[in-house]
Amino acid sequence: MTMSSGSSAGWLCACLLGLAAATTPVFAHHSFAMFDHDHQIKLVGTVARFQWTNPHVYIYLEVAPSSGSGAVSAKSYTIECANPGILDRAGWKWNMIKVGDKITTVIAPLRSGQPGGLLKQVTLADGRKFDNGAPAGKASTAVEEK
Amino acid sequence: MRSALTSIAAILLLSGPCAQAADSPAVGQKAQVDHSMLLGTWTRVRDPGDRERVSAVTANLLHLKNGFGNTRASPVIIIATLPPLKHQYLSKWVDFIRRSHEADERGQPLATGYSHCLPDGMPTMMQGMFPMEVMQSPGDITVVEEAFRQIRHIYLNQKQITPITDAEPGFWGHSVGHWEGDTLMVNTIGIREEVRIQGVPHSDQMQINERIKVLSPDMFQDAITVLDPVYLTQPWSFTWTYKRDSTYKILEYVCEDNREESNSDQQNLKLFQGPTAQH
Repeated sequence: MTMSSGSSAGWLCACLLGLAAATTPVFAHHSFAMFDHDHQIKLVGTVARFQWTNPHVYIYLEVAPSSGSGAVSAKSYTIECANPGILDRAGWKWNMIKVGDKITTVIAPLRSGQPGGLLKQVTLADGRKFDNGAPAGKASTAVEEK
Repeated sequence: MRSALTSIAAILLLSGPCAQAADSPAVGQKAQVDHSMLLGTWTRVRDPGDRERVSAVTANLLHLKNGFGNTRASPVIIIATLPPLKHQYLSKWVDFIRRSHEADERGQPLATGYSHCLPDGMPTMMQGMFPMEVMQSPGDITVVEEAFRQIRHIYLNQKQITPITDAEPGFWGHSVGHWEGDTLMVNTIGIREEVRIQGVPHSDQMQINERIKVLSPDMFQDAITVLDPVYLTQPWSFTWTYKRDSTYKILEYVCEDNREESNSDQQNLKLFQGPTAQH
């Protein structure tokens, strides 16, 4: 950007740069009210399906029963992610998650009690961590393990 | 002298976001603007404090004593300036906002056009949910918004050829525009009745006027004014600002599988059915 000299122009320049720095170029697509953001849970499981589609990307995760839960079979979770565009911009790649991968997720679970939720953070088998883009919000520091 | 004039012109160009009074060049000055500066890929930027203003406006509208937290406000309202709806329409719209909020509180958001993979249409498209690209071919400026792969055409140096109430309704309507100095003046008519910005109703007499002003090589703003003699008491104006992202390439977007389905009464969302393995 070319700037002219002089205090007025300098002030205007600072004003413009301040505007650019202070803004956040993300807008929510819809309400996330169906998810419980205050009681996030950690799920460790195996990817049954990874769907890279609009308007949302989905991870289908098979989660083995925890010891002491009394359950005998794995539980299938549907995990909603942002869309391919947001995730691209957050550093994801369309093929970075594959069927059979062992991954760890932090989700805001469905308030309905259905096995599913909104992704907050995923940790891949190689240890890399990704968030779900700014509209979905960050993972909580206090997470219940499932 | 020439350098002084250049400085003044630069100040006028750069002062847009800070001083709305600089909309028109000073008497005797002619802004030297390369209109091709509008071309390229852009991301909308939110003005400082806008999120808080929208939250405050919504909380005030619904008489919420404790207001909203930053992340809890319903995304229905996206503009801090309330629509100047006539009384008989305002109460119904506020009721819609209240129902939307209460559905959110229950954890069952209302179904929206997005639930059915419908695009924003005008003027919501210009909120720039995702990056957008501005292109030009002879006589036509085209805006492509990545979200829902929305496309609108602004035909240059033409007048609306159809009487407003006879314009075939669509999501993006019929737009014509012309340059006045550094500002592209655009008029749009012919928006489908159910294509609404933040749920605000409108008639077939609605017009959307835009003043798309190039602020600098890397910024432009769109000052939007909605006119509707049937529903509004006065013009409804708001301004959005965009920053160039010269390295970004617009992605494809096909809304093919929204698993946030409406329940049987088509009012509230329920989240997707259980998982199905892809075998």
